[in-house]
Amino acid sequence: MRAFGYDIDQLVIAHVLLAIIPVILGMIIALPLGWWAHRSRGARRVLVPLSGALYTIPSLALIVFIPVVLGTPILSPVNVGLTLTIYTVALLVRSVAEALDAVPASVSLAALAVGYRPAGLLLGVQLPLAVPVLTAGLRVASVSSFSLVTVGALVGIESLGTLMTDGFQQDYTAMVVTGIVGSIALAFIFDALWLGLGRALTPWSRARAGV
Amino acid sequence: MIEFRDVGKRFADGTVGLEELSLTAREGEITVLVGPSGCGKTTSLRTVNRMVEPTSGSVHLDGRDVADVDPPELRRGIGYVIQQAGLFPHRRVIDNVATVPVLQGLSRQEAKKRAAEVLERVGLSALAQRWPAQLSGGQQQRVGVARALAGDAPVLLMDEPFSAVDPVVRVELQDELLRLQAELGKTILFVTHDIDEAIRLGDRVAVLRVGGRLAQFAPPDELLAAPVDEFVSGFVGRDRGYRRLGFVSATALRLVDLPTRADANGDSPDSPDRAVPGEWTVLLDGTERPSAWLGPDGARHDLGSLYVTDGADAASDAAGTLRGALDAALSSPAGRGVAVDGGGRYRGGVEPDDVLALLDRGTTR
Repeated sequence: MRAFGYDIDQLVIAHVLLAIIPVILGMIIALPLGWWAHRSRGARRVLVPLSGALYTIPSLALIVFIPVVLGTPILSPVNVGLTLTIYTVALLVRSVAEALDAVPASVSLAALAVGYRPAGLLLGVQLPLAVPVLTAGLRVASVSSFSLVTVGALVGIESLGTLMTDGFQQDYTAMVVTGIVGSIALAFIFDALWLGLGRALTPWSRARAGV
Repeated sequence: MIEFRDVGKRFADGTVGLEELSLTAREGEITVLVGPSGCGKTTSLRTVNRMVEPTSGSVHLDGRDVADVDPPELRRGIGYVIQQAGLFPHRRVIDNVATVPVLQGLSRQEAKKRAAEVLERVGLSALAQRWPAQLSGGQQQRVGVARALAGDAPVLLMDEPFSAVDPVVRVELQDELLRLQAELGKTILFVTHDIDEAIRLGDRVAVLRVGGRLAQFAPPDELLAAPVDEFVSGFVGRDRGYRRLGFVSATALRLVDLPTRADANGDSPDSPDRAVPGEWTVLLDGTERPSAWLGPDGARHDLGSLYVTDGADAASDAAGTLRGALDAALSSPAGRGVAVDGGGRYRGGVEPDDVLALLDRGTTR
């Protein structure tokens, strides 16, 4: 589909990839960090405020700063991807730690008592039980990522944000609105996807007496 | 057999959890650790499966020092039931029970088969596909017991397993445990703060005082008859003389004949009519089981508690407990108790005077 002189499909694909890959990477990085913060009080004292502080860095500053540090080309999508990964980690470290905290101590104790080893306890019992809280964190990170991708358009990284910046320059309202509505719609679609995935993984959480 | 040899536990903050505990939980028996909170009963239980490492002394399981066994390996060979059951909320009942066999290395399929057998044994087959959140507290606790049995471990550790359920369900669970234990003969170490539960379940009861010192370790009737000091007698509580009668056999108790007649609500037309006008009469149903008292006023009255003799039928002569006899005599509206055999069939009446005479003769000492 073409509109306003752009291949909209391509913009949508770029937008989705640029938003989702950092969310998944961020989750993979946040899991061990969050687990560490859950396990050790010392680690938590450092990791949680530090990750919170990361989120306060302005996105534009990060996108511009990363090529200076890493030597990536100024127009590389890696700059945006890395920025969004950092934000995801910033949001999810606390989320993961709190999700693991929310697993009832009696359940972890029972798992140890029947002979789980630490890795089995984490993968077989604690992570599955952390899914509802994890999903909530993931949804926030995902929505945030879908909206922040548009900032990349300011430095020429293509996404639906490009329609906003170009439309603004051309004083073309329909183009700006298309960009805004499109990026919001994508954020909603993936939010629903995470929600559905979370529910599919936790049939037990909806079980109530008499069902 | 579980052996505690001078087991001590001092926590990092300096508090003493357990002070040189030495006792042996015998094979095939229920050994109960009882005491007020802070007496170290749970701590001592947890030294057995190395959830807690003692700071001195050692724990031996069938002669083997548990410190020499890899903890997860050790725990897979010991059934464990905790308060609130500790079921895995994300697994169906059958998968909860199958957890231990899976950890022991059985295939999923074999483990599920084993779990289904255990659920059958404890009468929970109907709940196999439920989630834990769909069970009542009592049902959860029973699944917890099933899970502990699924590993086929000879030793069970039970940490206040029944204290979170209401008193009626608690008694049911206790009865069920005694029934299972009669079949399975496990070596059970049972922790509770409830002295009545301890006396009901324990073959031997260890009373611990705060700071983890063993006050007395004895069979329950001895605990009731001869508490070693004021702490134990205070803990054992009021009415211990009466409760101890539950451990004394009413061997010499003579049953008297009571007037009986077939219950009009029952269906036994040929039961001999022996009603005595103006007297209390026991109504019997078609299977010789007492159903009610017929009062001199012609109205039906509750039977009161029954004195159950140990024998399965009228032919066997085993006696019940003095407590049962006295309770039957005292709780009957007729002033005389009704005795039944193990199958619930009418055997005779209990005169309170006869019970008191037995007490007077010092049978209880």
